[in-house]
Amino acid sequence: MTSMLFMLTSAVMSASPLGAQYAEHKTLTLDGAKRAIAAAVAEAKRSGGTGVIAVVDDGGNLMAVERLDDTFAAGANISIGKARTAALFKKPSKAFEDIIGKGRTAMVALADFTPLQGGVPIVVDGQIIGAIGVSGAASAQRDEEVAIAGAHAVETSPVGASAPRVEYFPSERVRDSFAKGAVLFDGGGTNYPVHTSRRESAGQAEVHLRDTDVIYMLDGATTFVTGGSVVGGKTIAPDEIRGAAIDGGDTRRLAKGDVMIVPNGTPHWFKDVDGPVLYYVVKVR
Amino acid sequence: MKSLASSIALVSILWTSGAYAADSFPTKRVLSLEAATRVAAAAQAEATRRGSTVVIAVVDDGGHLILLHRLDDTQVASVEVGIGKARTAAIFRRPSKEFEDQIRSGRVAALALPGATPLQGGIPRVVDAQVIGAIGVSGNTPQEDEDIAKVGAAALR
Repeated sequence: MTSMLFMLTSAVMSASPLGAQYAEHKTLTLDGAKRAIAAAVAEAKRSGGTGVIAVVDDGGNLMAVERLDDTFAAGANISIGKARTAALFKKPSKAFEDIIGKGRTAMVALADFTPLQGGVPIVVDGQIIGAIGVSGAASAQRDEEVAIAGAHAVETSPVGASAPRVEYFPSERVRDSFAKGAVLFDGGGTNYPVHTSRRESAGQAEVHLRDTDVIYMLDGATTFVTGGSVVGGKTIAPDEIRGAAIDGGDTRRLAKGDVMIVPNGTPHWFKDVDGPVLYYVVKVR
Repeated sequence: MKSLASSIALVSILWTSGAYAADSFPTKRVLSLEAATRVAAAAQAEATRRGSTVVIAVVDDGGHLILLHRLDDTQVASVEVGIGKARTAAIFRRPSKEFEDQIRSGRVAALALPGATPLQGGIPRVVDAQVIGAIGVSGNTPQEDEDIAKVGAAALR
């Protein structure tokens, strides 16, 4: 009896942890890879506009590659090699360029190895789900920056993991949000956060390098300055500049019902506010 | 004075012939990334319609990769095969199926062709009788691979 019970128990024990023998690992989809490439292409166009961008999965196998016009042909294989190196060695490929540069020449003997700056892993929830490699941008440093921009697009919005959801905000919540001025929707990894903004007095001069503001005036009136140059501009957060005022630019009077679209990179300033001013902003990034 | 005049005449002859040479470089059409993207999109739509998982590779006239998309769940080995088919179609300027047919009909020596992937599924894109690049598809049956490649190639006018 005891031995039967033991057998039964061990049978159950060996059966039940079966699931635990397999770890779950997130994977990158082609949509995710294309999204990384699109973000990398946008970054590459900030400097010269050439480059090849390759995305590989966690096994180092190619998922997608795109070579921008006028990029040297050999760049395709180099970008794939950088991405493979970052995925299979789980480190930016620059790490190996540095190690070799410091004198560990023997490392170049490793097979299937491209120890050149420009490959970075794509990390979601602490797991490397793939890597992106870039070759043929304006410099080795730019190769890596372009790759990071691509990886970032996936890491902040893991396409393979979850698609954007439908969002609903009942009127009471929107009203409460306007009562103090708040972020209604933080974007949740999408490129369209929404702010329910409130202003009692003049603001600082602002520049968003990444976000375009689509503003709908709901209440109050203000003098609004766009363009010109920011006085005493300081970077207070990534892609965000603030300053005391704007020199020059165009001045408008905004009131209830008006819509303003302020492209990214454009200085703007709520100058004289007849508060409270309530305005709805879709930030397109 | 006379010699100066003749030097000038000589210079102008050289100049003219130089200009003539510069103008006489033949031109060729090249495949842009935008065009390659259109080719791949058409091929992907066709693959999706058929429920096929494939790799789609687009190369330029030198056989060098411009774009590659591996559809979700496609076997990874198809990456190299897809590139190989496209490259073969581009640099041999004919569908890669021709070599598969040659080998099947007994010309085993065709296996020795350098740089060739003699498998059906690579289609050159011809514009004004010039091969500007090629598309290679791999992951499904040889015939389906080629059919999808043809749809991709036909997306360019």
